[in-house]
Amino acid sequence: MVEKRTLLFASLLMFVLAMLTSSLAGYFYLQNAVSSEQNAENLQSIDAMATRYNDAMTKYNKLLSDYSMLYGSYSLSQDTDFTLPTDSLNDLLDHAEGNFSSLLASQKDLNETCYELRGKCQALLARGNVTREEFGELLNELYELLNLLVIRELNSAMSEVTTLAINMCIDYGNETVKWYNNTDVSPGSSLFQAIQKVATVNYTYYAWMKPGHIRLTAINDKEEYAIGYSEGWSWIWYYWNDDLQQLVSGPVGCDAWMLKDGGTYKWRFEHWSWP
Amino acid sequence: MQNNTKNPLIIALMGVLTALCLAVQLSPRPPNVEFTSLFTFTFGFLFGPFLGVLFGSFVMFVNGFFSPWGFAGPNLPFQIAGMAIVGLAGGLYKRYVKGYNAAGFCIEVAVLGAFLTELYDLVTNFGVAFSYMIVGMNPSLAVFTALAYGTPFSLVHVFSNIAVFGIMFFPLIGSLNHVLRVENLG
Repeated sequence: MVEKRTLLFASLLMFVLAMLTSSLAGYFYLQNAVSSEQNAENLQSIDAMATRYNDAMTKYNKLLSDYSMLYGSYSLSQDTDFTLPTDSLNDLLDHAEGNFSSLLASQKDLNETCYELRGKCQALLARGNVTREEFGELLNELYELLNLLVIRELNSAMSEVTTLAINMCIDYGNETVKWYNNTDVSPGSSLFQAIQKVATVNYTYYAWMKPGHIRLTAINDKEEYAIGYSEGWSWIWYYWNDDLQQLVSGPVGCDAWMLKDGGTYKWRFEHWSWP
Repeated sequence: MQNNTKNPLIIALMGVLTALCLAVQLSPRPPNVEFTSLFTFTFGFLFGPFLGVLFGSFVMFVNGFFSPWGFAGPNLPFQIAGMAIVGLAGGLYKRYVKGYNAAGFCIEVAVLGAFLTELYDLVTNFGVAFSYMIVGMNPSLAVFTALAYGTPFSLVHVFSNIAVFGIMFFPLIGSLNHVLRVENLG
C-alpha cells in the first residue's frame, strides 16, 4: 500500500510535469504558427516582387520598342534635319516619365537626369534644324536613362523583400568623425541616397560627368570651398575594398555607386590642390 | 512570531540573505538558475510562514529594482506574490516534516522545489500576460502567449531548482541552524 505522503508528492511531481509538457506543446504550437505566418508573408513579398518585375519589364520592352524605331530612323535616314525624330524622342521621354513617375519622384538624381535631357531636347526643338550628331547624342542619353530607370525599378522591387545594412562614416576633417553603423538602405540604393539618410546634403549636378552626375558640396552645413584656383577643401568619398583591405577613393559619382550589404563607406572633408 | 520579528539576528540574516540573493542575481549565470527560491523556502522553514512570506516579498521587492533585466514594472506584484508563496510553503512544510532522513527528505524537498518553481513561474507568467493585456492584447491570447513563451525559461528554472533544492537545502538548514542556534528545528 502506497503511503498517502508519497502519493501527495508523486501527484505534485506529476502536476509539474503535466504543466511543463502542456506549456511546451503550446510553445511549439505558437512557434509553428508564427513561422507559418512569416512564410506566408515572405511568399506574399516574393509574389509582389515578381509582379513588379513583370510590370517593369513590360514597361521597359514597350519603351525599348519605341526607342528602337527612333534609332532606326536615325541610323537608316539620309536626312540632315532630325527635328521630327527629336519631337518623337520628346514624346518617348514623356512616356518614360509617365511610366516611372513614382521612381522619379523619389530619386532626385534620376529626376535631374530626366530634367536635363528634356531641357536639351526642348532647346533643340525650339531652335529647329536638329543635326544628326545632336540627335545621336540625345538618343544615347535616352538609352542610358531607360536602362537606369529599369535597373532602379527592379532594385526598388527587391527592397520589398530585403534591406541592406551599411556602415557610413563622415569625417569632418577637424577630428570630428561620426559613424552610422548598420544603417538600413534599400537594395539598389546609391551612395548619394544613403548619405541623405544620415545627413543633410547640398550638391551640384553635372550633366557632362559620367558615370554619376552628382558631386556633394556640403554635408550637414560643412560647405566645400576653394582657396584661389589651385586648392581648396571638398567632400571626397571612399569605399572599403575587401580585396585590398583598405579604403579606396570613389571612382565614380556618388549617385552611380551602388551599395552592397555590409559595405563601409566614408565621406571625408579633405584638402586638395593642383600641382 | 513577534519575538522573531524583533530578533536582531534574524533581521540581520534577512538583510544578508537579501544581499546575497541580489549578488547571485547580478552575477553571470545561465538565465533562470537562481537561489532566491531556496533562500526564501529555507527562511520560511527556519522562522515560520509569516517571516517566510515577509522575506520572499521583501527580496522580490528589492530585486524588482536591481534585477539585471531592469525594473520589473507591472510584473513586480506578481513576483512578490510568487515568492511569498515559496516562503509560506517553507513555513508550512516544516510543520509536516516527518524526520530528517537524508534521502527521503531531499527527494521531498526537490519535488517541492519543482512544484513551487512551477507555481512561481505560473504566477509571474500571468504578470507578463497582464502587461500584454495593458497594451491591448486579447486576455486569453495574452495568457497563452506568456505561458508558451515562458516555457523554455520555465524548463531551465524547474530542473535547476530540483537540483538546487534537492542538493543544497539539507546542508543549508544544518549550517544555518548551527550558526543561529535556532531552537525547535524539529
